[in-house]
Amino acid sequence: MNRLGRFLKSFFLVDILQGLWVTLRIYFSPKVTVQYPEQIKEPAPRFRGILRLHRDERGEPLCIACKACQRACGTNCFDIEGKKGEGAKVMRPVKFDWTLERCSFCGFCVEVCPTNAIRFSREFRLTGLDRAGLLFDLPDMYLAGEDLQKHLCAGCRRGG
Amino acid sequence: MAFKEIDLNMGPQHPSTHGVLRLKLSVDNEVVLRVEPVLGYLHRGMEKLWENLTYKQIVPLTDRLDYLASLSNNLGYVLAVEKLAGIEVPKRAQYIRVVLAELQRLASHLAWAGFMANDIGAMTVLLYGFEAREDVLDIFEEYCGARLTVHGIRIGGVVHDLDAALVSRIRAVLKAIPKRLQDIRTLLDENRIWKERTVGVGLITAGDAVGYGLTGPALRASGVEWDMRKDIPYSSYGDFAFDVPLGQNSDVYDRYIVRLEEICQSIRIVGQALDGLPSGEFSAKVPRVLKVPPGEVFHTIEAPKGVLGFYVKSNGTDKPERVKMKSPSFINLQSLERMCIGHLFSDVVGILGSLDIVLGEIDK
Amino acid sequence: MTPFVAEFLIPLGKIAAVILYPMVMVVVMIWLERRVVALMQGRLGPNRVGFQGVLQPVADAVKLFFKEDIMQRRADKLLFNISPVLVMFSSLLAFCFVPLGEPIRIGTYTLTLWIAESPVGLLIVLGLSSISVFGVIFGGWASNSKYPLMGALRSVVQVLSYEIPIGLTVLTVAFVARSMDLVEIVRRQESSGVWHGFLMPVSFVVFWISAVAETNRAPFDLPEAESELVAGYHTEYSGMKFAYFYMAEYAHMVLVSSLVVILFFGGWLPPFPSVKALSFVHVVPGFIWYLIKIMFFLYLYVWIRATFPRYRFDSLIRLVWKWLIPLSLVNFLAVALLGYLR
Repeated sequence: MNRLGRFLKSFFLVDILQGLWVTLRIYFSPKVTVQYPEQIKEPAPRFRGILRLHRDERGEPLCIACKACQRACGTNCFDIEGKKGEGAKVMRPVKFDWTLERCSFCGFCVEVCPTNAIRFSREFRLTGLDRAGLLFDLPDMYLAGEDLQKHLCAGCRRGG
Repeated sequence: MAFKEIDLNMGPQHPSTHGVLRLKLSVDNEVVLRVEPVLGYLHRGMEKLWENLTYKQIVPLTDRLDYLASLSNNLGYVLAVEKLAGIEVPKRAQYIRVVLAELQRLASHLAWAGFMANDIGAMTVLLYGFEAREDVLDIFEEYCGARLTVHGIRIGGVVHDLDAALVSRIRAVLKAIPKRLQDIRTLLDENRIWKERTVGVGLITAGDAVGYGLTGPALRASGVEWDMRKDIPYSSYGDFAFDVPLGQNSDVYDRYIVRLEEICQSIRIVGQALDGLPSGEFSAKVPRVLKVPPGEVFHTIEAPKGVLGFYVKSNGTDKPERVKMKSPSFINLQSLERMCIGHLFSDVVGILGSLDIVLGEIDK
Repeated sequence: MTPFVAEFLIPLGKIAAVILYPMVMVVVMIWLERRVVALMQGRLGPNRVGFQGVLQPVADAVKLFFKEDIMQRRADKLLFNISPVLVMFSSLLAFCFVPLGEPIRIGTYTLTLWIAESPVGLLIVLGLSSISVFGVIFGGWASNSKYPLMGALRSVVQVLSYEIPIGLTVLTVAFVARSMDLVEIVRRQESSGVWHGFLMPVSFVVFWISAVAETNRAPFDLPEAESELVAGYHTEYSGMKFAYFYMAEYAHMVLVSSLVVILFFGGWLPPFPSVKALSFVHVVPGFIWYLIKIMFFLYLYVWIRATFPRYRFDSLIRLVWKWLIPLSLVNFLAVALLGYLR
């Protein structure tokens, strides 16, 4: 009986028809595609996008040039120099170079930062057509949104 | 046909060598006489690189080994270092690690099912597998902000705690995956073409499999019950009830079935780990500059591709003197020739696919 | 109507139509395939160029047109250049013999919707469609490369094997219709009132499977198995030469679908002609019915491709020699016997 059943199943192409049924069902079911430039799938809140320096609510920079991030970094992305201004209590960075092309987005710098100055943004568009756009100095580290895109595309016609 | 025995270079640029593997094949018409894998096209000098990095800085680099299962690599390395440094990991962290590692196994096996089916010509399954995998990657993104090179497990614990929202999201995904799996199984399990391509192909006896050092699902498809999670439990795997799926015929079809069964078992384990998630810290206190006492250690875990081992030797500084990796894909690839000889050229693709290799791990 | 129009302009127009019609179908087919396969895989597919991406094949063609034409230094130049043309030419030529519909009467002039009607049209079409295998062999061999060579070898064995069941099933149709004229075969189905596909389902199934195999389509796409042979016999081709192979494959599919419709499903005849309630079927022109039927079979091609894994070479040959050929032989004998007894 079992063998007969198997033979009948095979003769009437049951396996083939089952497969065709699955593809036909998916054909009519909703699709998962996100049509990128028009629809954007928002990255998760913890998304590890481009690194950005932050200021406190008074507009003062949070970074104290302690170089903890520079030491934690495994790929030597950072080159930081700090200086204490006249009468200032804390150091401020005078040079803060970050190389996007070396960054592996591991998150060590963000974790070690004592003042929470350097954080990941949710910016996921990291494309630049020019190498200069991938180098960030101190003012560049505060860029966001379209300004950031312009910086990344510095040197390319669209950005200029 | 008049010609006899030609040498055929399969790769490094070939659609189905899973990256940049090169196989030197000798074929007589289409029958394979010899297979010689040529490696090194993706060699990045990882092990040497690690000698110049601190223990902590190595973890994100392990992501890039088996890039389809980065969390498993994290776990393997981190466990070895913790064993050497004598760090006690909190129970909650261990459970979260199990959740992450099993989700990673899910993702890896789902991607494998797609690649494997695509190699045999069923390209639709590739998309179904990836669609299911995408949900798991979304969890990773939610958990720590990255999808592929996750870097979610740190020395001493994990990077974030699991909150209630994420737990319920994981549960929802786990509930949806069996349905998608069923689509794949309906397309392939009974399909006569799939069976002709896989049943009785790429045979290796249990003795040979052990002799070649084959591990992971490929070994278990030969009927050898060897799963590090069961046999040498690590990270609280002993707390969970799960079965080790075994095959009997040790062919490509059995490897396929074993992997799909493992997906179901992983779903079981994650469910148990989420139910019994103990309270407490999600990470042990680890000094900022981790100095590991001199000594050496070898620790193995059950990665999705097989037994993954890390040998770490310390000289007392914050950088390891030597880290050596036993990568499952590299060792599993050895048995390829044994499985392929006498089969047709088309089967090489299927057998290679059934071994589930990742070149990042082979070339290091 | 002046003789100039009747003897010169109309044939010229028909010739243009016969070249244009397969080309339009090819464009539609390429778009259809990519969209349908995508939808079956849970994604959207090309939908940017033109409405819902219908112009995607055109964009592809433009891209291929501007691509560099690469030829291996040690390739056989003549054969390498000839084979894409050969493949394309043989499929296009076959369309001359494929009727597209009932002749149309314009006053005293009868416009036939085919270029040539031959009493052995069936044989000519099959013969011409088999010529394309020479293009495949030449292309694979002349590339002076191993993957194309293997693809060409596979193609030869495959096409030669699958010609036999095709021939045997086509014989049953010719036997029942008592003609090898494609127009006559359709007219027979009209007068007998039953389409051959329902009269001889076994013939139809065997013919369809063999036809899929002969057009090198999934699951029988071994000569160009992507995961094994990179791109099979046309691995070394680029630019417009590649486009020729590509378009010829689709033209061949359209040809085979037309043949299936003509031989087994009544060509341009409307369905259920005798049912009174469905008399509106006669309002729709025959050509539209014909297109609908062809599209159905083209859709089936795509559907099959989206669903199944690829056969291996030995099982492919086993399928034809152990199953299809005996089945078609028995089927032929049965049809002959039943026809004799009636």
